[in-house]
Formats: sequence, structure tokens, C-alpha cells
Amino acid sequence: MRMLARRLSLYVVTAWVAITVNFLLPRMMPGNPVQQLIGKLTGSITPQQVHAIELAFGIGLNQGLWAQYTGYLHQLFVGNLGVSITLSSPVSTVLKSAVPWTVGLIGVSTILSFLLGTLSGALLGWFRGSRLDSLIPVATFFQAVPYFFLGTVMLLVFGSSLHWFPVLGAYSQSVTPGWHWDFVFSLFRYGELPVITIVLSSVAGWMLGMRNMMITMIAEDFVLMAVAKGLPRRKVIMHAARNAVLPSVANLSLAIGLVVSGALLVELVFNYPGVGNLLLQAVLNEDYPLIQGIFLVITMTVLAANLLADIFYFVLDPRTRTEAAV
Amino acid sequence: MNDVDQSLNDTVLEIEDFSVDYGWGEGAVRAVNNVTLSVRRSRVLGIAGESGSGKSTLVYAVTRLLRSPGVIAGGRARLTFDDPGSHDTKRRTVDLTSATSGELRSIRWSQVSIVLQSALNALNPVLRIGHEFDEVLKVHRPSMSKTERRERAAELLGLVGLNEDRLARFPHELSGGQRQRIMIALALALDPQLVIMDEPTTALDVVTQREIVNELAQLRVRFGFSMIFITHDLSLLVELADDIAVMYAGNVVEWAPAGDLYHAPRHPYTLGLLNSSPPLTGERRELVGIAGAPPDLSQPISGCSFRARCPYAFDRCATEVPVLGVVDDSGRKVACWLHETPATVPMPLRIVAPGRDETVPALDQEVVS
Repeated sequence: MRMLARRLSLYVVTAWVAITVNFLLPRMMPGNPVQQLIGKLTGSITPQQVHAIELAFGIGLNQGLWAQYTGYLHQLFVGNLGVSITLSSPVSTVLKSAVPWTVGLIGVSTILSFLLGTLSGALLGWFRGSRLDSLIPVATFFQAVPYFFLGTVMLLVFGSSLHWFPVLGAYSQSVTPGWHWDFVFSLFRYGELPVITIVLSSVAGWMLGMRNMMITMIAEDFVLMAVAKGLPRRKVIMHAARNAVLPSVANLSLAIGLVVSGALLVELVFNYPGVGNLLLQAVLNEDYPLIQGIFLVITMTVLAANLLADIFYFVLDPRTRTEAAV
Repeated sequence: MNDVDQSLNDTVLEIEDFSVDYGWGEGAVRAVNNVTLSVRRSRVLGIAGESGSGKSTLVYAVTRLLRSPGVIAGGRARLTFDDPGSHDTKRRTVDLTSATSGELRSIRWSQVSIVLQSALNALNPVLRIGHEFDEVLKVHRPSMSKTERRERAAELLGLVGLNEDRLARFPHELSGGQRQRIMIALALALDPQLVIMDEPTTALDVVTQREIVNELAQLRVRFGFSMIFITHDLSLLVELADDIAVMYAGNVVEWAPAGDLYHAPRHPYTLGLLNSSPPLTGERRELVGIAGAPPDLSQPISGCSFRARCPYAFDRCATEVPVLGVVDDSGRKVACWLHETPATVPMPLRIVAPGRDETVPALDQEVVS
């Protein structure tokens, strides 16, 4: 437990550093970005927007850096991430509407890819040298093909030409969003193609990682013992897999941390209304408050996922629990 | 499964003409060569030899645990045990070399269990000790309840002098001696006919080694299982074993009752092994290693494989492979040309074991001087 507490304090410090850097970066921009921005937003600028820009860059506020910083921290603490310049609405509101899409799409695909890859990797490792091995080049091929290219081809072939899957967007325009059957069904239908694309292009990593760990584990004495004990093959494989899966679980937690940042290209190709798409728009429009907000959310989720990985490992591998005592 | 006449069979394991190769075809290396050995009921067979002599390979191949590229190149290994399935406790014999994987699964651990050198590696690092016991009992004794399994595990730990609170521990939380005791307790979980010990004490300090060997000896008397004990330490073996087989380069070069072999070796290699480890009792003597290294088994060997390191080698050793043959009335066997003609036996190899009649012909002054 002491070790976990120590880890936790480390994460708090990291989070603070990330927040501070996030605060300082726009203030270190050369020149006068405020004037540039105001120039861009010709005509339609409101006083609110000007204030948002000033807050973001810390210019024209007649406030010392320290006062700005404490103000920034205070606003963060109450959940105020500022106002988006281009969308004229609070960044937190904008994020709230984008994050669930990305988490849903990328989260489901990541977990699906992990499960599929780890399971097949375990079997490939155990039955290495069998005909199953031919799966490996197929999976690596899909991983090697650029993400967006694979997505485009899938869209063209299975969406536009064959009409097996609906395309563009996250749900059908003919249903109204809400927790009813039609909408959920539409969500699933529209999610299928992007999920398949992501799983196809990422499953090889999980598969090869697990397969290699399995092969290492099979050489271990405790697997030989499992055979010597007369255990059924399923149980022997479990003995090996239980240990082989540890690095994969650590990787999964890290992958989950990257879920929020989204698969920018996939969201673009499938026109999915997630964080990736939002980030692209924000960067193109130089919407600094929004970019800052997105970065902050990504940083925090990566940190949270890392913490989760630590806890997971702590639970799965008893050897890490006594590390602190050494 | 072949049921044979059991009336006069008091052996648990019979290994016949057993050969093991590593690799196939041209590149195959013969690691075990035509070995014939048997383990008697409730007795201990010790197998001694240095690293690479094929002693472990032999038992792993016999129990069908040998990993690729190890392959059984010939021979048979028959296990005889009391069939738990039949009511009149009929003995059953199974040819391990031709047994199906299902037959092997039912025999493994319930009839033949094994203890490896490193208990740390043999225990799954992420499972609690209790799980290892529970799993074995669950698979082989499906009728046992969870509490019965738990009680049995505690009882087994008690046999090796460990408290049952160890069941909740993970392997890395225990000392090396405790881990090896747990492996021994685990090996006895199903009252097997045969327990194979593959250098179980090599990784331990001398004091723990001694304690464990004593415990093993007591457990064996109490439960009457047979044992194959593999080690390079002959002085350890002599206390525990009834018979000892000495292996060199894949061959059994000497087989004898433990006391005879220890006090009166007949093969120059056995003599070398004995001289390279300190005696248990008696006066101190200088330890002498065996010069040279074991032969490269991937190269063809002509004649005796120990010839290059043997201080007594003569012409015949270079051309003819010695065969394992009975040398005296006690039935002990040795594979060495020196014993072909009694006159050529050098002094250290003609000592008479205590309690034995002098069966080696008297010293011939003319030859020795």
C-alpha cells in the first residue's frame, strides 16, 4: 500500500507539471498572437471572445504572471477551461460533446483488439509451428498498411460499393439521439466499419507480443510442472498465459490512456465527431483555449491510465507488491 | 495398455534399451544410449553423473516430459502400479513410450511425480502455494470437496515441517528451503508410486540439503514410494539410495548397490567422481578432480567414451566400446575393459566392499609391479 501511495504522489506532481506547462506555453508564443487572432476573426468578434483570447495568452490583463497562474489554477479546479474562440462556447461543453464519441469508438476497438490479439497470440504461441502461424503475416500486413489508407479502402469497398455498412458520421441522420433502441442500433451499425478498421490495423501488435511472451513462458519450469502434474491441456496453457499476459496488460493500460486523444485519421476518414476531429479543427483555426483544453484532458487521461496500469500490475503480479520492501 | 503377468514383478519402473536423441536425422545427437535400468518397489535408485551425462534427459524422456528437439530413439519404459480403478488392487503395467496423452495425464502425478532443481522456477510465480495443491487435487481427485482439499494441503505441508499459513503465500515470499519442501509435499499429494527427484538439493546450502535429505528418507520409509534421485553428489546419494547407476556421456557405466559402489568403485569414472567430493565420514583426504571434459556427443566416439580422461586407458579402449556386464557375485555391473581380465584391474578398482566376500582375484604381484 505504501508503494501505491508513493506512486500516487508521483502522479500528482506529474499532473501539476503538465498543467503548468499548459499554462505557460501560450504565454511564450512570440509576437502578438492576440492581434493575429482578432484579425482572423474579422467582423464577427464579440467582447467575450476578446476576453477569452486575452485570458488564454495572458496579454492585456494588467495582471502579474503569478496572479494569472493562481487564477488559472482556480478556474481549472472549478472545471472552467475557458471559452473556445471559434465556437463561442465553453471549452468544457465542447469537450463533453466530443469525448464520449471517441471513448466509445476507440475504447471499444482497443479492448476488442486486445482481447482478440491476446487470445490468438496465446494460442499461436502454444501451437507455434502449426498451420495457425499463417495468421501472423496476414495480421502484420494490416498493421503495416497505413491506417487512413486501410480506412479509405474499407469505406470505398464495403461502404460505398457493397453497401454492407453505413458510412459517414456516428449515427443515422434519420434518428434523433437519445437512449432508445433505434438510436443505439444506429450507433452500432455506424460504428462497425471504423471498429473493424481499427481492430484490423492494431491486432497484430497484441498478437505478436502475446505470442512471443507465450513462447518464453513455455520454456519455464512451472509450465513443465503443469504438464508433469497431469493437468488438462487447457489448464497448462492457462499457467503459461497467466504469466505471459502481464506485459500485454501493462500495454493495454497505456493504450487506454491514448484512447481520448483518439485516432485522428480514423475519425477523419469516417467523419466521426470525436476528439481527433475536434483537435484538427482547433489547430486549423488556432483556437488556443480549445487546444489547451484538449491537451489537458489527454494528459490527465494518460496519467490516469498509467495509474490504472500500476494498480492492475499490482493486482496481477504479486512480485511487484513486495518491491517496496527491497 | 498391456496387462502382463504381475506375480513376480516387484519393479515399479523398468527401462529397457532406452535411447534418446536431440534432433533428427543427420544432425541427431545421441544423449542417452541403450540404457537399461529398473526401479524396485519402495526402493531408491540413484543416478549420478556430471552435467550433460544424460541423467536428466533419461528420466524426462521416460516420463514423456522431454521437450523438442529431444526424441525417444528406441527402447521401452514400463510403469507398474496398483490400479486405483480396480477393486482387488490389481497391478497394472503401462508402456510409457506408447501411452496416449490421456493415459499419460491420468498417470502423471497420481503415479509418477517429479521435483525439479529450482523450486522457484517450478512454482508458478503469480499463484499462491495453496492454489498449486488445490489444482492437483481438483484434477486428480474430483470427488474431494474444497475443504477436504484444503485440509489435505495443510496435512502435506505438515509432513515437510511447514505451517499451513504458507498456503496463502506466493513463491517469492518463501526461502529456497521452504520452496523445495513445498515441492516435495506437492509431489506426495496423490500418494504416487514413484517420485523423481531431479537434483532437488543442488540449489540449496549444505545444512538445508542435509535436512531435506533426512526428511526424504523418513518420508520414504513412512509412505513406501519408490524414488529416482538424480544428482552429481555421490556422497549424498549413498545415504539415500539403495542402488546407484553412474552415467557418463549417455551410457550407464556402472551399476551397483549403493554401499558397494561408494566403498568399492569398479569404474575409473566412478572412482574419479568419488575422489572429487569430500567423504562423509572417516579421515580427510585430498580432493582430486577428473581431468578433461566430457566428450562432444555430436562427434562420433570410437571405443570407450571415458578413454580420454581415464588414467588406466589401454589399447583396447580406443577401438571397442565396453559393454555393461556383471563383474562379480553381487550382481554389480560395470562397463570397462579393465575388468575383462582380472589381472589388469588396477589397485583402487579392486577394493572389496565391506561385508562382501573377496570376489576380485587376489593381487597379482607381477602385473602391478
